[in-house]
Amino acid sequence: MVILEGKRVTKHFGGLTAVNEVDFEIQRGEIFGLIGPNGSGKTTLLNLINGIFPVTKGEILFLGSRLNGLKPHRITRLGMGRAFQVVRAFEGMTVKENVLVGSLFGAKNRKDIRTGMKEVEGVLDFVRLGAKKDYRISEITIADRKRLELARALAMTPELLLLDEVMAGLNPREVEDMMEMVLEVNRKGITVLLIEHVMKAVMGISQRIMVLHHGKKIALGSPKEIAENEEVIKSYLGDKFVRREAERRDLS
Amino acid sequence: MAKMSRKGWFLAGGGVCLFLLLAPVLLRGYWVRLLTNMFMFGILAESVNIIAGYCGYLALGNMVFFGMGAYTAGVLMAKFAFSFFPALIIAGLGASLFTVCIGFPILRLKGQYFLMATMGLLELLREITTNISLTGGGQGITLPIFPGRAAAANHFFYYFMFGLMILSMVCTFAISKSHLGYAFRAIKFDEDAASVMGINPTPYKTIAWAISAFFTSLTGAGYAYWMSYIDPGEAYQIMPSIKMYLMMVLGGGGTVLGPILGAFFVEFISELVWGNFLELHFLILGLILVIVVVFTPKGLMDLFQK
Repeated sequence: MVILEGKRVTKHFGGLTAVNEVDFEIQRGEIFGLIGPNGSGKTTLLNLINGIFPVTKGEILFLGSRLNGLKPHRITRLGMGRAFQVVRAFEGMTVKENVLVGSLFGAKNRKDIRTGMKEVEGVLDFVRLGAKKDYRISEITIADRKRLELARALAMTPELLLLDEVMAGLNPREVEDMMEMVLEVNRKGITVLLIEHVMKAVMGISQRIMVLHHGKKIALGSPKEIAENEEVIKSYLGDKFVRREAERRDLS
Repeated sequence: MAKMSRKGWFLAGGGVCLFLLLAPVLLRGYWVRLLTNMFMFGILAESVNIIAGYCGYLALGNMVFFGMGAYTAGVLMAKFAFSFFPALIIAGLGASLFTVCIGFPILRLKGQYFLMATMGLLELLREITTNISLTGGGQGITLPIFPGRAAAANHFFYYFMFGLMILSMVCTFAISKSHLGYAFRAIKFDEDAASVMGINPTPYKTIAWAISAFFTSLTGAGYAYWMSYIDPGEAYQIMPSIKMYLMMVLGGGGTVLGPILGAFFVEFISELVWGNFLELHFLILGLILVIVVVFTPKGLMDLFQK
């Protein structure tokens, strides 16, 4: 079953076409990777999906309802949670309060603060921030901030989770942790749309990957198909990646 | 300073409240009037706090609601023979209704644009008030004098401002612990992120502004009755607008007690300096404020919360 569908999605910023007639279908329950060079339109596409920018042309359907023209807060409440690339935590609040905002306002049902707080504790334990719940944002590390972004999105109890470079800036160990967490989220039945530059992560956990280049879709397929696609190699992955992958395969 | 315990706050707060309740009996008229003035600025700073401290809006034009309150009460009492309390309620609700009407266009503006729009509003209302006959024009309007002896009037306005200040604090406290409080603060720190997290910003900002206007307008109405005379130049002044904002920042925006503390501090210091250095009043007051801001950039409340 298709959870999110884009039909010829297009966005112009003045004379610049940031996203150009992109078609896609995300199946319920999958992890769908979105990759491409810097400036290829990945984050813009995410902004179109959750309503921060209006689409210029085309349409986006989520669980069968048309999202065009809906404000971000409405789309969120339909069941879509998002973690931002640049961490956008509310600086003056504690870790717990940050997640609470997602739980109070982002979920489909309205709840009281006490119930929200209880849910938040669970989410924070899941992303292993439980011990730091009363810290201010300025007191936690980058890795913790990334986990906090994930926690805020999860607190909205989404059916579709948009993750925008949640692994950027993390060390290899932290990347492994984050991959494991995303997989665990997915096992709970949450569909994931993942934008990522850390190839090991996207290739490792996505079932399907879409590649954007200059706003256009240039490939869509399994990680293996994408890694072997000539156009993708030329525009994004580079020869070095292919050589390294080949070496890795030879070794194993 | 160490973080105060809940019990410590409770005892200190109770002691201060008890003293303030008995103050009119214990103190001379001068002190009663000074305290009344401090309470008044306390309410004004707390009102600004709701829209500026919690929601992050540069609300430097809040005096417009003070003027509206003063004039609503003034006109109703002087021209339509209303008694004080009905006039007061109408003044408060009127100002809130006004913010709801203008909030939807104006609250879409951010930062300095919002500032300019609200300051424009202040000028606009002053000009309108100066040029229509219902409000007495530039000559101002005289309200009925509070019946009874001068001391009775002093006590009445003392308790009026004191009660209203407590009410504004209770209201702010309740907001800070509710959905509203979390939504306001989320909007303040990052409006786009807030809306992605399911908050529709405009209605929330409108609510914040309406509450802020409500208390400011009640204060204006009380002030007009207290002074028993009001004119456009005084009711729609820009300086008190800046002063209440400054008090809020100085005491600590986004906290319940901070703005009150800031108001007391500024009014008290101002009175002391005024009494001792008539000529250099502003210079010395400014110097003190600079020193306070340098040492407690997050406001006086920060001293208690560390």
